[in-house]
Amino acid sequence: MSNTTAVPTPGAFQFPEIYNFPPFFTRQPNESTWQEQRRQWCDLILAYYRHNRLYSLTLAEAITEPPFTNRQIHRSLRVDVLRELVDDLVKQGNASWTGAKNAKDSCLVLWRKPEVWASMIYQWANERGLFNTVLTVFELANGDDTAGQEFHNLDSVTLRRALDVLQSQGKAQLFVGTSDDDMGVKLFA
Amino acid sequence: MMKDNLEDFVREHQRDIRNNPAFRVQVQRMCQLIGVDPLSSRKSYMSELLGVGDFYCELGIQIIDICVATRSINGGLMDLDELLRRLIRRRLKGSEPVVEDDIRRAISQLKPLKGGYKIVCFGKRKMVQSVAREMNSDQAKVMTLAQYTCKFTMEDVRVAFGWDEDRIHSCVDDMLRSGIVWMDEYNEAYPEYWVMAFFSQLNSALTMANAE
Repeated sequence: MSNTTAVPTPGAFQFPEIYNFPPFFTRQPNESTWQEQRRQWCDLILAYYRHNRLYSLTLAEAITEPPFTNRQIHRSLRVDVLRELVDDLVKQGNASWTGAKNAKDSCLVLWRKPEVWASMIYQWANERGLFNTVLTVFELANGDDTAGQEFHNLDSVTLRRALDVLQSQGKAQLFVGTSDDDMGVKLFA
Repeated sequence: MMKDNLEDFVREHQRDIRNNPAFRVQVQRMCQLIGVDPLSSRKSYMSELLGVGDFYCELGIQIIDICVATRSINGGLMDLDELLRRLIRRRLKGSEPVVEDDIRRAISQLKPLKGGYKIVCFGKRKMVQSVAREMNSDQAKVMTLAQYTCKFTMEDVRVAFGWDEDRIHSCVDDMLRSGIVWMDEYNEAYPEYWVMAFFSQLNSALTMANAE
């Protein structure tokens, strides 16, 4: 991945040609066509969310906006179809349902898996000689020291997932503060 | 005697033959008139002289590649125009230019393959079919009906041909099943059926026009 900025990629997102095809927004009755369609949608969702540095979606709201609505051709994806697509993404480790259990109304879009964020954070800490120091999660995400890093301004829920990974790998210890903002983390070799 | 002259001619103009499609077409027509098919055997002296054996082989491979990659979207049917555009886009700068005639020749060489590569026409539309499938005449009629709009409703079919509901449903189901048509449920009462290959050609033409 060549994009190393922590801000949305400059330039408009390039939608694939099929995005202008009205039937793309209808779940196809032909099974093999649907297989291809869902694959294209999943790729599109991840690419769009990566390009715009978006990390989560609430289904009911999302379908009224791009990429799930294409105003040029007056088409929108239905909520139940989007739900199926998110289930696909969950299966491949690129999404995670949040909110009420089994409600399936909101999710994280993990266009970069928590394990990858985790290793980026760990590498940065290693390079800066920050092992065995307690950092606040807030500094990690928003501090000057991380400016220019891919994970700068990372959404807090996604960041927490990455830190959980490090903790489960025995590479970090999380300290719960009085509030979410206070949470601290110590990384070690 | 004519063959010898032709050989000399081809040898002298090898470069032009490879790089100038219009000229190449002329020379091939000449060959056919004399009764020599340069493509009939890749080992034949003519195809070696013309140096086109590799050219059509390469082209054939590129065509197969493009068709296989798009098959799950268009059901193995692509507009000839669009195929040409994709080939041109895909071929490296400096490689020989390609025209429709070259595609036809390359595809005729692919006929023996199981894929069933062939050119089919629907009205004014020329399409490359890359799956072994016999389209029945009902489907062909509907394809021709949709050639300009890219889409049709069952009502359009009824109005155009007067078929009964069962016959129309059966035809549309076949087209959906073969993957050449996608359904658009925007108007639930009158769903529209879009021929992907028709749309794709139009869309890629527009995209390229905008890019220029």
